[in-house]
Amino acid sequence: MSAETGVIHDIGYRRYTGRRLGRAQIVRALYRHSLRSAFGLGRGAKAKIVPLIVFAIMCLPAIANAVAVANGNARLVPYDTYVFQLRVVLMIIFVAAQAPELVSRDLRSHVLPLYFCRPLRRMDYPLAKLAAFITACLAIIEIPLLLLYVGTVAQSHTPHAIWSQTRALIPGLLVGLMWAVLLAAIGLALASLSGRRAYATGAIAIYFFLTWILAGILIAVTQRNVARTAFVKPPPGAPRPPGAPATGPIPVHIITQAPTTASHLSGLVSPFTTLDGVRLWLGGTSKGPLPGVGGYGALYGAMFLVLLAVSVGGLFARYRKAGAL
Amino acid sequence: MSAPLTAQPGAPAAGPGAGGPVIETRALTKRYPGPVSALDALTVTVAPGITGLVGANGAGKSTLIKILLGLLEPTGGEARVLGRDCQRDGEQIRGLTGYMPEHDCLPPDVTATEFVTHLGRMSGLPPTAAKERAAESLRHVGLYEERYRQIGTYSTGMKQRVKLAQALVGDPRLLLLDEPTVGLDPAGRNSMLELIARIGAEFGISIVVASHLLGEIERICDHLVAIEAGRLLRADTITSMTQVSQVLLIDVDEGSEVLLAELSRRGLEPRRHERSLLVGLDDDATYDVVRDAIADLALPLNRLEQRRRRVEELFADDPAAPEALTGAGVGGTGGTDGPGSTPEAPHVR
Repeated sequence: MSAETGVIHDIGYRRYTGRRLGRAQIVRALYRHSLRSAFGLGRGAKAKIVPLIVFAIMCLPAIANAVAVANGNARLVPYDTYVFQLRVVLMIIFVAAQAPELVSRDLRSHVLPLYFCRPLRRMDYPLAKLAAFITACLAIIEIPLLLLYVGTVAQSHTPHAIWSQTRALIPGLLVGLMWAVLLAAIGLALASLSGRRAYATGAIAIYFFLTWILAGILIAVTQRNVARTAFVKPPPGAPRPPGAPATGPIPVHIITQAPTTASHLSGLVSPFTTLDGVRLWLGGTSKGPLPGVGGYGALYGAMFLVLLAVSVGGLFARYRKAGAL
Repeated sequence: MSAPLTAQPGAPAAGPGAGGPVIETRALTKRYPGPVSALDALTVTVAPGITGLVGANGAGKSTLIKILLGLLEPTGGEARVLGRDCQRDGEQIRGLTGYMPEHDCLPPDVTATEFVTHLGRMSGLPPTAAKERAAESLRHVGLYEERYRQIGTYSTGMKQRVKLAQALVGDPRLLLLDEPTVGLDPAGRNSMLELIARIGAEFGISIVVASHLLGEIERICDHLVAIEAGRLLRADTITSMTQVSQVLLIDVDEGSEVLLAELSRRGLEPRRHERSLLVGLDDDATYDVVRDAIADLALPLNRLEQRRRRVEELFADDPAAPEALTGAGVGGTGGTDGPGSTPEAPHVR
């Protein structure tokens, strides 16, 4: 200890007579603090790298779209799926890196008793963390969508064109909201299992990646091969394969894949394909990773709710226990 | 459980400073699943000032603190802090109370200023006030320029100070300190105790210090509450508990048997206490006798220390029969730097 420890300079103690905030405002302060830490704000430069890079890459398709539209092309990227694979990969990275930042650090250093001995109630803590992380995910997902919209609308000259873009954007924003809520809840629930950042990050990344890959494999192997004959009309004068008729269209046997019940259900394995199933069920039109949901759309809706309930329930249950002083 | 509680007519509410008791419990009971009661019909009143809450590990100190903060529901009985019901007004109580946990609770990669400011916000201070009070609290506990360094670089003593500062930041009316000297070396313990005594005396904040080290606590406390197995052992003012009865502790590196015999021969009544000897200190002549005996035997004297009777001696035997102690005057254990361990004493580490 330094020489001056133990020495109190007599500056006198001043009572605090100012305003005191109520519980709701304290929860809001914790929400803001957590939201900032989700982006590494208030921390060193290193803490900002992942959020910044993820956000920048997520915006790239929207920027490319703005350039393309300015050059007279139609909109490149759909609002409801955005660039699906890119979004999956970036959200896995963001959630795996930042969810532990919100909850694991406090668990690791046993700070929780210092929260719970204050006017907060026990469930206020996970509530503020969850709200903050949903907001953070929302920002990563929706801001690029808004950029996509602005870039497109900037070149739209009729009210009708603007209105049709707006009408297409709104479902996209709602899909983004579903993503943010589900991914934030799963991420925080998994992160709250371990005070060690590396374990928490690993658990989240492994869960998301494995289920995503598994869903992809299941969807691929459960599709049925369908053989059919198509007729190709070669340009005049082109060489014709042997055995083909001398004139007219040439019959070609092709094999396509058709979804089966199993492949309709395969998407339930992963949160990302579950989200996409809900999108299709609710009338999404863009092509996603799922070959369709068949008649099982409601099942995807139920799966979404189950995943959400389990994660939120798990997160809150964690703090009912961990809050012991 | 939420029935209004009026102060018991017979409760010893008087204490230094104005206002009623800071803590009142009546028949407070907490049973966890299993045969053990953490608290067993504990009725105690704590007056303003510095109060030591003493008990062995597992005596129920932590359980009591949790109930007082409104974080744990008692199985039975009532508890009030600063006149508020612990079960009904927990939030209010937590707004008025600063708590310093026993265990490590600091993130290593944040500066003390940032950390205490954030916890000031969590105590309900607006942003600017939180910043100001964090700086002030850290200064009060003796952290100056260091407060801009990451907590991970701090010594144990500095960390304890940060823990105390975060309890102070919200300008509490009551501080609950759980083992504030744990892990500190003797010098660190002394300065921490001095700091606590100053906060109690000069800041006008009532303090409850939970500790299993009686010898430490008695130095800074006005009152003492001793609990054992969830029951009240004794609650009183320090002065009424420690009648002056002087004892001289003699510590020689070798030859304590020879010295024991020699002191007896010279008319004293030495008693063995661990590796040391204790003799009753009647007057200054005792010093001379001891000095001469050691000099004549040419023994290497390590320590010669005058001690008051320790509070813990009161707990070494049935507190209902304190006379049993006064006769010998040396039955106890203690010393801040050499904690003994009489089995019955609430002094087990």
